[in-house]
Amino acid sequence: MKKIIQKIEPYIWILPSVLLMFVFILIPIVFVFRMALSKVSRAGLIKGFTGFANFSKILSTPTFSMVLKNTLVWTVAVVGLSTLLGFILALLLNNAFKGRKVARAIVVFPWATTLVVQASIWKFIIDTDYGTLNTLLMRLGIIDHAVNWTPSAGAWFAWEIACGIFVTIPFVTFTVLSGLQSIDGSYYEAATVDGANYWQQLFKITIPLVSSSLTVSTVLNIIYVFNSFPIIWNMTKGDPGNRTDTLVTYLYKLAFYNGKQGEAAAVSVIGFMILLVCATVYMVATLRKGDE
Amino acid sequence: MKETAHKPLNGKKLALRILLYVVVFLICLLILYPYFAMFCTSLKDRSEIFSASGTVVPKNALWSNFADIWSRAPMAKYMMNSILIAGGSTIIALLCGIPAAYALSRMKFKGDIAFLGFVIVSQMFAPVVLLIGIYKVMMTLNLTNSILGLIFINAAFNQAFTIWLLRGTFMGISSEMEQAAKIDGCNRFEAMIKILLPVAAPGIVTTLIFVFINAWNEYTVALTLISDDLNKPLTVGINIFNGYNMIEWQYLFSASLFAIAPVVVLFAIIEKNLVSGLASGGVKG
Repeated sequence: MKKIIQKIEPYIWILPSVLLMFVFILIPIVFVFRMALSKVSRAGLIKGFTGFANFSKILSTPTFSMVLKNTLVWTVAVVGLSTLLGFILALLLNNAFKGRKVARAIVVFPWATTLVVQASIWKFIIDTDYGTLNTLLMRLGIIDHAVNWTPSAGAWFAWEIACGIFVTIPFVTFTVLSGLQSIDGSYYEAATVDGANYWQQLFKITIPLVSSSLTVSTVLNIIYVFNSFPIIWNMTKGDPGNRTDTLVTYLYKLAFYNGKQGEAAAVSVIGFMILLVCATVYMVATLRKGDE
Repeated sequence: MKETAHKPLNGKKLALRILLYVVVFLICLLILYPYFAMFCTSLKDRSEIFSASGTVVPKNALWSNFADIWSRAPMAKYMMNSILIAGGSTIIALLCGIPAAYALSRMKFKGDIAFLGFVIVSQMFAPVVLLIGIYKVMMTLNLTNSILGLIFINAAFNQAFTIWLLRGTFMGISSEMEQAAKIDGCNRFEAMIKILLPVAAPGIVTTLIFVFINAWNEYTVALTLISDDLNKPLTVGINIFNGYNMIEWQYLFSASLFAIAPVVVLFAIIEKNLVSGLASGGVKG
């Protein structure tokens, strides 16, 4: 009897967590897959299996390929640039200087601010008629009349990417900082004795030693940026004509505006498939790191 | 890379040092600029915001905007909802996450790796991609338009990093003391509560604040599930000033300041612990 209890004891400890994730994550996943393969009424009722009809309907529209391209541009641009800039910022903040604590606290700001507020501020700043960017630049004498910062859908998308980069940098910076601070200073002393210059030290010591931190931040950012909804939703809602939509804003409109829940579910599944590759890479990398 | 402050600075080093200060200063200015713009705008009169000759700093600060929002919108209700959602999610996430992390760090059992694998992979499923499925589950449970529903969703989607972070914390603490306590007649549960948790307190506080911030800042699920204005959290509710036809920027931004101030302060408090927490990976708001 005691042995049986010992055997099942660990499962009792993990039970609450398993239940929570089962009901609110796993069942929704099952629902999404079921709906993707079913005919779904406007009210969201599942009306029988249709195979891949939802997928072929979605894949045949020109909108979808545009949305997919936008998603790719959005993810690569935001993750790529914020990784580069966040890394440089981490190198700067890793120096000992007066006011470093204050600077680090300030860098946290965009990370702590909810995305929907962040998007509202930027939308206001770049407004043509009353935005503070125009006011500021005119006051400074850099421009003499109000500039239209968002003349096209592409321009809107570029600003959304800029906003995305702005809010993503702190995460990269702090992840890299955690890696930098675990580097043993004696490496640099030895390298300096050997006559290595700053760039040689950067590429031969710093980057290899923080590469695992960079992997963690990059893969997590790919997942989070890919799934990021509030910035685009708040600034353009994916308009005009889906030209600033990414997969998540597109599926949101399909599901909750156009009553096409089956097709929206199909878009979700396509999104999973893309992310599954990333998550697998991440899981392998993290578990390996945990074993070290 | 290394600290050079103790050595006398030669010309090149001095120039680099000045450059460092200038660059860091400019970056901080850029980061703070949106907050500065938001604060200034929140103090302006509506006509001043829309006037052709715009101002940077308000001509005369209209502090009454900060008072007006409480009567123009159910701000107190939004605030209360945000506190309930963030607080409730944090409690449930930790009540479920602590025992799970304990089991993963202190016991060997069949399926432990599979469970940990699912925990990590679950980070890939952001609520937004699952919204259709979540909506269906919530309809079945009769939890749409409910604060309780949002609490469960936030707690569930924060399990991944709660477990991951706490497991790391617990594994860094030797189990010797707990074993000694068990010999003295404590059971596992008592040993965890009395011995492990007090030692793990810093890690638990970091986790707790992080879940709180994530749940406080959550927008998408609340936007979708909550239709009754009085059940909205701040992130969704403040958009009452962001109408289709007319945006009341001054009110939107004064309300936004209330929505972001608590978490920015919390974040600044745990900023130091962030670095050690992040080293284990898997923390992202």
